[in-house]
Amino acid sequence: MTGYCTLGEAMVYALSRTVEDRTLVFHGFGSPLVQLALHLAKHTHAPDMVLVAGATYGVNPTPPFLAPTSNDWVMDRGAEASLRIEELFDLAASGRMGRMFLSGLQIDPWGNANVTLLGDGASAAAQGALPKLKLPGGGGGCNLSCDAERITLWTAGHRSVSGRKGKQFRLVPECDFITNLGHRAVDGTPRRELGHRGQGPDWLITELGVFDFDPYGHLRLRAVYPDTTVDEIREHTDFSPVVADELETVGLPDAEMISFLRALDPLGVHLQELRPEDRERRFDLTG
Amino acid sequence: MSSERHLSVHAASDKRRSLPELAAEVRDGDTVGLGGGLSSREPMALLRELIRQGRRDLRVVGSAHGIDVDMLCGAGAVSVSAQSYVGFEQDFGMAPNYRRTCQSGEVRIDDGCCYTLVQQLRATILGVPFLPVRSVRGTDFETLHSFRMMTCPYTGEELALVPALRPDVSVLHAQYGDERGNLRIEGPPVVDILLAKSSRTVLATVEQLVSTEELHERGGATIPYFYVSAVSEVAFGAHPTACYPFYAYDRPHTAMYYRSAKAGSEVFRAEYLQPFVYDCPHHDQYLERVGGEALRQRLASWKDGPEAWQRLYANDGEVA
Repeated sequence: MTGYCTLGEAMVYALSRTVEDRTLVFHGFGSPLVQLALHLAKHTHAPDMVLVAGATYGVNPTPPFLAPTSNDWVMDRGAEASLRIEELFDLAASGRMGRMFLSGLQIDPWGNANVTLLGDGASAAAQGALPKLKLPGGGGGCNLSCDAERITLWTAGHRSVSGRKGKQFRLVPECDFITNLGHRAVDGTPRRELGHRGQGPDWLITELGVFDFDPYGHLRLRAVYPDTTVDEIREHTDFSPVVADELETVGLPDAEMISFLRALDPLGVHLQELRPEDRERRFDLTG
Repeated sequence: MSSERHLSVHAASDKRRSLPELAAEVRDGDTVGLGGGLSSREPMALLRELIRQGRRDLRVVGSAHGIDVDMLCGAGAVSVSAQSYVGFEQDFGMAPNYRRTCQSGEVRIDDGCCYTLVQQLRATILGVPFLPVRSVRGTDFETLHSFRMMTCPYTGEELALVPALRPDVSVLHAQYGDERGNLRIEGPPVVDILLAKSSRTVLATVEQLVSTEELHERGGATIPYFYVSAVSEVAFGAHPTACYPFYAYDRPHTAMYYRSAKAGSEVFRAEYLQPFVYDCPHHDQYLERVGGEALRQRLASWKDGPEAWQRLYANDGEVA
């Protein structure tokens, strides 16, 4: 029997725990960890969630396995219905979407995320300034970050990377471009003053720890993995994160959940989201 | 009122054209709506023909795309990208040609968001100059696009106003069509239906041209013929993206594409564009070059069950 879980499985479990039953939840594309998490949630504590799949907009699909890309008929097999793109986004705009999952190549302390460009920002880009790095773009993340009731943020690239230009951080004091809105707008306006339907992000799951947001809308470290520490997280975060008074250890899935996940992802598609060094991380399932 | 402010009804009874004739309808500088999305049902054969015809300065709009936009960028055909996403998801990562041309300034960044695009196309379809959206405010898209704001006269709420968008031309690939241009899309239609209803010209390739009766038996048109300007039967016209039920995503070909694109613009031209686009003036030559009948059978093998389907995606295109 299974005596351990992998980091990927622990992240999937943590992501799944942010899902409430009987709500409509959407996963986007390019996000196998999240795709697995929603199927795990539906398999365990949230059987009555309305699961809408990204790219296909299938409702409650039962894919035979995780495909390497999201807009593949594999991913909407068994779906009870298929939504059109306008219907999916209308659901969010009119307040029916309970939760969406978003990521970023930069994430700031207020949970704003950037998947558009690294460089001098939007005003400069609008005037033709060249970006240092063009990122793929945010899909519908901008809209859903405003409209979905709650957002779970995640990244499997929290750990800073040392390069020619020094340390490159994923968690940064300020995003070069705000693609997805967190708890503070570009001009510093608190989110609640903007009147959006959604309440903003309430969780951030990374490969180093689990964060929530304090009452001021600021990221707060809540839990570390069995093999990570607060000091390590500070080292890899380019601002001083708030740390919860009572720090926990990230919960791990049980053997049945792990079997479920391994059966759903025989190709190991979710490993493509993890850095090579993180694919080897294992946690003993004791107690 | 000028005719520019009206969308046309395409009432001709026979809209069949050759692939080169279809591509010739696209002009340099056009705003082009791209059908399909990510690894599925993108009009690749038509895009390859546009490249062969030397089309330039295109402004490409769409939702989430990948190899289609990347290939056009790598061929120097694009001057503005208003896509909401261009990449290969976690499968291969960032789109190399897209990234390179955006960073060099060859392609101007005009990124959209899915719902913003949807509402812009819907404004055109509704015949109104803009639509309000609740989202966007507080993000950098407000600045990038200089969206105007409005206080709702009924509720006092602040809303962003997105202007109507009418693509000059949209290029789509559907599973089935008839000679009048009725199109039947099976599976997720992505933005294709909205593009068809909002564009001045709609060009479609289809896997199979069938009679109107057969189209009806298959469930009827997803896009009625009067939205469609011209249609061409191009089997395997979405390759290497998927067009189910005919063929799955060609992951090994895409991996090969990605490696050549990542190696730089010169390598991409020599190792991809030359053999697969320029040296194949006819689509049949392309099909032979990518694997012919053996490939067709392999990509249709998804129908044999989940194990066969998985095998199409296993062990190919590993990237570090």
